[in-house]
Amino acid sequence: MLENFQSYLKERLAITDEQAKEATSCLKSKTFKKGTILLSPGDLRSDNYFINEGLLRSFSIDEKGKEHIIQFAPENWMISDRNSAVFNEPSVFYIDTIENTEVLIVPNHFFADIQKLLPHILELNIKMLHNSIRFMQQRINMLLSATAEERYLDFIKLYPNLTLRVPQWMIASYLGITPESLSRVRKDLAKRHFR
Amino acid sequence: MHTLKKVAAILNPPAPHMVGDGFRVHNFFPSGYKIKMDPFYLLDYNAKIEFSPTNSPKGVGVHPHRGFETVTIAYQGAVAHHDSAGNSGVIYPGDVQWMTAASGILHKEYHEENFSKKGGPFQMVQLWVNLPAKYKMSTPKYQAIAHSQIASFELPDQKGTIEVIAGNYKGVKGSASTFTPIEMYNLRLNAGAKATLSSNSHYNTALIVIEGNITVNGTGHAATNQMVHFAHEGSEIEIETNENSVVLFLSGEPINEPIAQYGPFLMNKPEELQQAIEDYNTGKFGYLEE
Repeated sequence: MLENFQSYLKERLAITDEQAKEATSCLKSKTFKKGTILLSPGDLRSDNYFINEGLLRSFSIDEKGKEHIIQFAPENWMISDRNSAVFNEPSVFYIDTIENTEVLIVPNHFFADIQKLLPHILELNIKMLHNSIRFMQQRINMLLSATAEERYLDFIKLYPNLTLRVPQWMIASYLGITPESLSRVRKDLAKRHFR
Repeated sequence: MHTLKKVAAILNPPAPHMVGDGFRVHNFFPSGYKIKMDPFYLLDYNAKIEFSPTNSPKGVGVHPHRGFETVTIAYQGAVAHHDSAGNSGVIYPGDVQWMTAASGILHKEYHEENFSKKGGPFQMVQLWVNLPAKYKMSTPKYQAIAHSQIASFELPDQKGTIEVIAGNYKGVKGSASTFTPIEMYNLRLNAGAKATLSSNSHYNTALIVIEGNITVNGTGHAATNQMVHFAHEGSEIEIETNENSVVLFLSGEPINEPIAQYGPFLMNKPEELQQAIEDYNTGKFGYLEE
């Protein structure tokens, strides 16, 4: 099940099918049932997960037991806790599956390892990092300054189909609002848009 | 000269999965078996199962549909239903709910409160009936068909009853209105009954044995929870019962249009699915309280 990741690389680097196959030949896929915890705070693991099929999320749990969702990762997204994946420090977040999921395990050293084969991979990795930082900044700005409705509208732009795959309380948790506020937002939108 | 409709396969129920926490369904198609059943797109069969008593009704929360009809046929247990068009009701054994989602509706389905409290056997069929492109964006509607309203044909010698949910059986007209030609009957037959069904040879056709044990066209034996799928050859089906049996018969003229499906949306083109997702996200399906 390497095809998705190969296409992902081919779309972003000018490489041949053979190069994509060779570069990814060392990677392994793994399937997990819905509700499986892949990573917990304190774990040391250098893995990134590329999602072939299914849905992961990263989250924290506060002292009162409340979950706070940091990121959703549907198909063709990559997710990890950089504390352990990059800095070899204990993980801070949980990562679990919201659906039955098949991931490709991409060790952090993968990008350095295949440099000879795919010279542009590091540039790509840097670009992806900047892209990720850009979205993270947008997310911080939303959390600090935006109304519940603005946060929701931003969410459906980034993750259009997750409203059909994820329970409301998880979306509310990601947006940093209560499930009641999310219901209110959706109700207000329906009032304005339902013909 | 009528010829017997050839049996293509007798199918066991595929492994079940849960829909919400209230429906344990065997999906005969499209995921269970790759069989041609257009205009029927999906069939989820909740084989008879005991639910234990609970004070919080099990079921499926608010979700949208667009581009087709959902048909729920109850055999055991009871389901309460609410939708964003303001319709609500309870589907009891023998009842049929024919919901035309068409341009878009939100609904939720839960075990009815009293049934939940008492618990007991639960058995249902839910079908997705596709709509032709020209009706996909028509106004949603809702046909709640109580068991007592379903027109029926009595077999001679009190051998049983054929309830005509849709279509026409020997002059008895079905209770539901449909957008394309569909024959849908519940056969409630006593042991030793014989019934003949007929349907155009090019219609996609199947039956499910809800209860009992039957012989089809003299040679095919099908027991409880099995589906009999028919080939596009011949038009007559002979059913003999080996014990008291209930059979759901489905036959329909194929729509033969391109299919694009994502989650609860069934359209013709991928861009129409994108539109459906956007419309759902931005409130164009209305609102329904969880």
